Amino acid sequence: MNQFTFEGSQKRLFLGMIAVGLACMAATFLFDDDALHTRFWTNFLHNTVFFTGIAFVILFFYCASTLAYAGWFVNFKRVFEAYSLYLPVGLGFLLVIIAGIWGHFHHLYHWTDTSLLEVGGPNYDKVVAGKSGFINKNWYTFGTIITVGIWSFCAIKLRSLSLDEDSNPNADHSQYVQFKKVAAFFMFFGAFSSAAMIWQWIMSIDVHWYSTMFAWYATASWLVSALALTIASLIYLKSKGYYESVLPDHFHDLGKYIFGFSVFWTYLWFDQFMLIWYANNGEETVYFQHRFNHYSVLFYANLAINFVLPFLILMRNSVKRKAGIMMFAAIILFFGHWLDFFLMIKPGAYLTAQEALAHGGGHGDAAHSVVESGFALGNHFPGLLEVGTFLGFLGLFLFLGFRQLAKASLEPKNDPYLGEALHHHVI
Amino acid sequence: MKSQNKEILYGLYDDDEDLLKAVKAANKDHLEMYDVFTPFPVHGLDPLMGFSESRLHIAGFVFGAMGTLTAFLFMTWVFTRDWPIIFGGKPYWSVPAFIPITFELTVLFSGIGMVVSYYIVNGLGFGVENPTLDDRITDDKFCIAFQTNGYSDAEIENLSSFFAKTGASEVSSKVI
Repeated sequence: MNQFTFEGSQKRLFLGMIAVGLACMAATFLFDDDALHTRFWTNFLHNTVFFTGIAFVILFFYCASTLAYAGWFVNFKRVFEAYSLYLPVGLGFLLVIIAGIWGHFHHLYHWTDTSLLEVGGPNYDKVVAGKSGFINKNWYTFGTIITVGIWSFCAIKLRSLSLDEDSNPNADHSQYVQFKKVAAFFMFFGAFSSAAMIWQWIMSIDVHWYSTMFAWYATASWLVSALALTIASLIYLKSKGYYESVLPDHFHDLGKYIFGFSVFWTYLWFDQFMLIWYANNGEETVYFQHRFNHYSVLFYANLAINFVLPFLILMRNSVKRKAGIMMFAAIILFFGHWLDFFLMIKPGAYLTAQEALAHGGGHGDAAHSVVESGFALGNHFPGLLEVGTFLGFLGLFLFLGFRQLAKASLEPKNDPYLGEALHHHVI
Repeated sequence: MKSQNKEILYGLYDDDEDLLKAVKAANKDHLEMYDVFTPFPVHGLDPLMGFSESRLHIAGFVFGAMGTLTAFLFMTWVFTRDWPIIFGGKPYWSVPAFIPITFELTVLFSGIGMVVSYYIVNGLGFGVENPTLDDRITDDKFCIAFQTNGYSDAEIENLSSFFAKTGASEVSSKVI
């Protein structure tokens, strides 16, 4: 079967997940929230950034592999294409965040308060004022629109080239040549712009803090999630009788990638931590101190799930060739990296909101002395509403992805590397 | 220990596809091969020859774990018992500071341990001479070798006809 049919039962499942997500978001907004709707907005930002990033990094991986003359993956490259087409939708969600920044209906980012920039004013904040050349509304708005817009354009362009290759084959592989040019541009542009966007979207939540490792660290997290999603999707599609050409050897290579990048993620996580721990500068350690004190379970669970488990589970050769255990590892890692993003976004945004609520939106150096009191489900640990919101976004992501999969043949017909992919052997 | 000289009957093939077909035919005829020599790794040869998964990575894991323990326990001993020094106001037993060195020694032990294991298991090393059946099997010829100690004339004849049947370009014998 080379043509995927998006069955009614799958549609109902994904639409059901979206409905659960919408219900959970509505419940969060209406019933279980503070005056600033912190829990709702952090959940929204968390899932928006997580899934948009996955779509971005899947496209990045696809382009990087193609540019490296890799051929082993091209029989399932439609999966990469289908998921990367989520990017325009991700831009739509980011526009909601942007509208909130201009319309002041959320308080995710502390730097949106312009009174912090008035020299000599009661709320003047030297650190935020010093960063205001980059961390400001215009950069956030136009940076996001232009960057994700160009990513989306590349995703659509690469998809159409790939489909054109199927319908209009020619001897000099003109689509493949053109594909590589767009891919080269996307890699160059995407590598720099994604870092800048991670600083804007995530790192600017803890606006006084910064880390030069952060963009790499967040990208590695996206990459592991994207590979986990690819593996889980392929195993599912195989179980439905599609993709007979995807062999244990393909899973073996994907498994090596996910194993390697889990270790890479750990390397970045640890480097970021250790340099800050050793230097012991107050303005840097506050980030980890806050997570140690209020998020200690998640802080260690993050390392256990995203490093120890994949390291031990995926170490052996034979494990990477078995569908069942790879599915297990993929699901664990996907959820684990979702938790990682929870830890990047929630603590800073919650603290910002607490300070704003305590001081009526005002701010000064004194405001930092707000002591966070008590445990707030959803802000300190994911509750059922967070899981429901996550399911909603996942349902939408898979719904759109599967719809794109159904629009073209699952295996490309005329890719110059198709033969290599069909005869892929690793041992 | 001096091992017995081996009488080897071998055939040379010009192409790796021919070689794979010949190995399949040898399996089908239940002929016991001494070894197969190729100038480069040939895909699909290992399973045909009945090789099980290499155990080298088990050695890698054991040596790596030794490296982890060596580094971690040594630093623990040095900084808590033997010569405690305070660095940057940290406790004596500062685990995060030990991790980079622990990581490096894990890689070092694992790497060197695997190389040494490989050399010992395969009988390689300084001063070891390994007989080559034919110099061309390191260049462009593919070779299947049978050990024929104690074979009857009929069995030798059988092997020769096998080489003829599978398209070997040359057949020779050698004592190594």
